[in-house]
Amino acid sequence: MSISLSHLTKRYASVPVVDDVTVEIPEGSLTAILGPSGSGKSTLLKLIAGLETPDAGRVVIEGDDVTDVDPRFRDIGFCFQHYAPFRHMNVAKNIGFGLRVRKLPREVIDAKVSELVELVKLDNKASSYPSQLSGGERQRMALARALAIEPRVLLLDEPFGALDAIVRTELRHWVKELHHQIKVTTILVTHDQDEAMEVADQLLIMHLGTIEQAGSPSELYDAPATEFVHAFLGPTTYFKGVAVRPHDLEIVGPTTGSLEGAVTSIIELGFEVQVTVTLSDGSTPWAQMSRNEFRALNVVVGSPISVRERVPQ
Amino acid sequence: MKHTSRKWALRIVVLGYLGLLVGLPVGFLFVHAFNHGLSAFWHEVTQPNAVAALKLSAEVALIAVPVNTVVGILAALILARQKFFGSRALILAFDIPVAVSPIIIGVALVLAYSRIGWFGQWLGDYGIRILFTPVGIVMATMAVSLPYVLRSVLPVLVEIGEDQDQAARTLGAGSFRIFWQVTLPAIRWGVLYGVTLTIARTLGEFGAVLVVSGDITGKTQTLPIYIFAVWDQNFDSVGAFAGAFVLASISIVALIILSSLRARERKLHVDLA
Repeated sequence: MSISLSHLTKRYASVPVVDDVTVEIPEGSLTAILGPSGSGKSTLLKLIAGLETPDAGRVVIEGDDVTDVDPRFRDIGFCFQHYAPFRHMNVAKNIGFGLRVRKLPREVIDAKVSELVELVKLDNKASSYPSQLSGGERQRMALARALAIEPRVLLLDEPFGALDAIVRTELRHWVKELHHQIKVTTILVTHDQDEAMEVADQLLIMHLGTIEQAGSPSELYDAPATEFVHAFLGPTTYFKGVAVRPHDLEIVGPTTGSLEGAVTSIIELGFEVQVTVTLSDGSTPWAQMSRNEFRALNVVVGSPISVRERVPQ
Repeated sequence: MKHTSRKWALRIVVLGYLGLLVGLPVGFLFVHAFNHGLSAFWHEVTQPNAVAALKLSAEVALIAVPVNTVVGILAALILARQKFFGSRALILAFDIPVAVSPIIIGVALVLAYSRIGWFGQWLGDYGIRILFTPVGIVMATMAVSLPYVLRSVLPVLVEIGEDQDQAARTLGAGSFRIFWQVTLPAIRWGVLYGVTLTIARTLGEFGAVLVVSGDITGKTQTLPIYIFAVWDQNFDSVGAFAGAFVLASISIVALIILSSLRARERKLHVDLA
């Protein structure tokens, strides 16, 4: 296990922000800490880096207890939400900072920096200053700067939060690819469940300072342990009082003997159609279906229907 | 058309106001400094007492400016990075010396360090004299120029936040390296701005220094006090105007440097936006 946290707790003015968190993060994984704002996910990341001091608990990285180790000796690559570029240094100097701290010979630093600018596709911007870079370029520079010291762990705080939609998607793919290439244990913090599901191979769902559930994206999506995880990871509706995915509900003709009711609204979103119904028990679940399924169903608002859960195949 | 004439009227009012208050007096000063020719001017500024005054002013600035710069930066770092009880009171304490009249600072220093007060008596018992010595002048000068560096650095520090320092720390840098290679370069324009203001105030201070210096010609006269003393003896003295010319020139050069720094700073912020 690359990172192991045990009973980690952080309080601000006696309010626990991270509350007795115990979790293992596998070596070489790309783990996303996913949670709404205020869930404690950024604080958890800073506790691992040593930028915050825990009130209780231990942080163990590759078998070393680093709880009382200064962040400068933890060998951690940390990327800040707003990248924290050194504004008075150009891209090459930014990337080489950690290497100069380690007093490596100049040729070694130069070679490493040119390798890294190529890796993050900034080779034509090596002498530009951060103010001359786009958001995505600054993000890649910050990544290269963190990777330069060959960290044991790479920590990314909301890495795509400040970027526009197109750049964000591009960078997501790129980070996944990069991780595949260099395989350093990586933890990223995000509040965007699509982003987490797409990029990460492990998810930690955080809520009110605790970890609700940990596992692979499909495990969590298919078998959420709590209602919170269910609602947070994907569209959720309630059928017979239980949280279900709307695409797991099937609307059929009124004669099948299941819960009966009538269609109350139809929203057509291109390929996807959302049909909301009101059932005899007073509940109003909605079902998600493809356009073809919807056409075959042949209903309008007011049509009598009944609803059942799809049987997984 | 009407719009243009109004614009011109406004300009003339502002320029006239400036001319009456600044342009005309300073112009007269410069003319009078050279009224009796360049050699008379030179003769006056090389008077032993004038040279002594200039030297004392420079020495005071050489001590007061670096000390207040270091203190200002340290205080700004503490106030920007640490939340503690009384931090607002601390900022207020820094501001007091420029908020009140300099004469009050002078009188207060006399009260504290002369034989009137117990502290001055206690110091006197150990043979330490502060009043009417260059030490007292340096103290008065430092007091009236105390907040300028803090005031110009603090907002910059608050704006840039702690991310860059923390990033440097995770990359392995120690506190010393972080300060010199990350924090200081990030706040350098604020520091320079504050230092320029401190220099201007340090060289120009009159009231507080007059009270604590004892006005001993050739010994405890700074340049502004020397100018006043010469002018007080002879209303139309080239010596006073020559000294004033030197002092004004230094301040004007400082102002020019300051405004060019501001322009650069503004350009930097545009770049970052």
